[in-house]
Amino acid sequence: MRLFLRQVKALVKLSLLELWRRNDIVALVVLAIALLVPLSSAKPFGAAGATRYMDEVALLLIWAYSVFISLGAGARLFPGEFESRTIYPLLAKPVSRGALVVGKYLGAVVASWSALTFFYLLYALASGCRTGVWLPGELLQAFVLHAAFCAVAVATALLGSLLLTNSANLTLSAGLLVSMFFFGRRLPEYADGLAAPLAWLVKGAYAVAPHVEFFDLRQRVLHGWGGIEPLVLVAALAYGLCYSAALVALARWALGRKEL
Amino acid sequence: MNVLELDDVSRSFGGVEAVRGLSLTLGEGQVLGFLGTNGAGKTTTIKMLLGLLRPTGGTVKVFGEDPAVAATRRRIGYMPETAYYYPYLNARELLMFYGGMCGMDKAVIRRRTDELLEAVDLTDAAKRPLKTYSKGMLQRAGIAQALLADPDLLVLDEPFTGLDPLARIHFRELLKRLRAAGKTIFFSSHELGETELLCDRVAIMKKGRCFYDGPVSRLAGDGTENLERIFLDVLAKEDVK
Repeated sequence: MRLFLRQVKALVKLSLLELWRRNDIVALVVLAIALLVPLSSAKPFGAAGATRYMDEVALLLIWAYSVFISLGAGARLFPGEFESRTIYPLLAKPVSRGALVVGKYLGAVVASWSALTFFYLLYALASGCRTGVWLPGELLQAFVLHAAFCAVAVATALLGSLLLTNSANLTLSAGLLVSMFFFGRRLPEYADGLAAPLAWLVKGAYAVAPHVEFFDLRQRVLHGWGGIEPLVLVAALAYGLCYSAALVALARWALGRKEL
Repeated sequence: MNVLELDDVSRSFGGVEAVRGLSLTLGEGQVLGFLGTNGAGKTTTIKMLLGLLRPTGGTVKVFGEDPAVAATRRRIGYMPETAYYYPYLNARELLMFYGGMCGMDKAVIRRRTDELLEAVDLTDAAKRPLKTYSKGMLQRAGIAQALLADPDLLVLDEPFTGLDPLARIHFRELLKRLRAAGKTIFFSSHELGETELLCDRVAIMKKGRCFYDGPVSRLAGDGTENLERIFLDVLAKEDVK
């Protein structure tokens, strides 16, 4: 157990260093500061509707950044090791493939969370300056559920990276997550309007697809509707945890089958 | 006890047999040069020794255990032929990372890192990102990571590739010191001169099969033959067959 924890710690540190030393992330952070701060702190014409609209764009940007960072972090975990051939000295160390998959996954998740924390702090700071409310409960809940989304997104990209080419993985993972984010809620309704075999297919897809729409509390933050029930929050987090664990287990299976 | 035991080992990829019926043992403190032409099956054999590949036939044992079990690899240090180590890390961070993967204590990793950076002459470049390193410097970083956990068995895949003459001499001296310290070394190489200087034994592979396994002293016993000549001879004889 001690060895496993040390290995996981080393892998987490590696992922953090990789994320924050990459030029594209530095560019993204600069862009985030340039866009998020004016968007979430501005009071255009003093109109509440316009302010809310700016806030909505700012939160949507945070979501877009998190998709980019989480998928990028998850998708490059193993292909990078194979391309640079570092997978061989790595697996020659006393590390099991399971520990490697778990460690790398956690590393990418922690790296994504670090970026997410930065974006939310930026948003909270800018909107707090405007409204005088620094950390509303619903924003904290939104952050926690968004973090769960990142865990699912990294796991999706991690599994895809061991089964598909890099571009196919990024395209499919992004397509799946973004579609579920925007249209996931409407799928059952849509299935009800279809003929039997197709309806079953859509319902089947709905059952297995990652329900990232569960993690979206933007509307509550924007309209100040207050937080969700603690039980609902825990259930959504449990769903994210179980879904991620299933994907990571599949990734371990895929790595075991991969020809080295 | 034998450090390495390969018993009638085969490995195929699809219909192609990369290694066929290979049997080899290596005792404690021995240095074995694993020679062969390109595609002879050397790297496949090394991957099986490290548990990265499962043999399709036969058995591989390292220290009497299955190398596919992670705990067995605690005593193995491996240096790949070419690896482009994490470009955003520096050499010190690279060794800290690998030390963590070996489960070593932080203080021990720090001490070993200092010693090894000195030994491979990377102390001055220790804080530079690896992406700025030359191929030879990366190779030296690779040697350092292989030696980090003070392994009893060193598996080196083409260790002299990319080293300049001075680094080559330093590395040769380092290997001699390791041999004197009783380490077991298995290294594949195309460098017959280096092999002759360093090894007790050589095994010569061609097309997945081992055609020669014996001591270097026997090869050059009469003073007229060198390893290069024997190597070519072994390969040519097989072509005639």
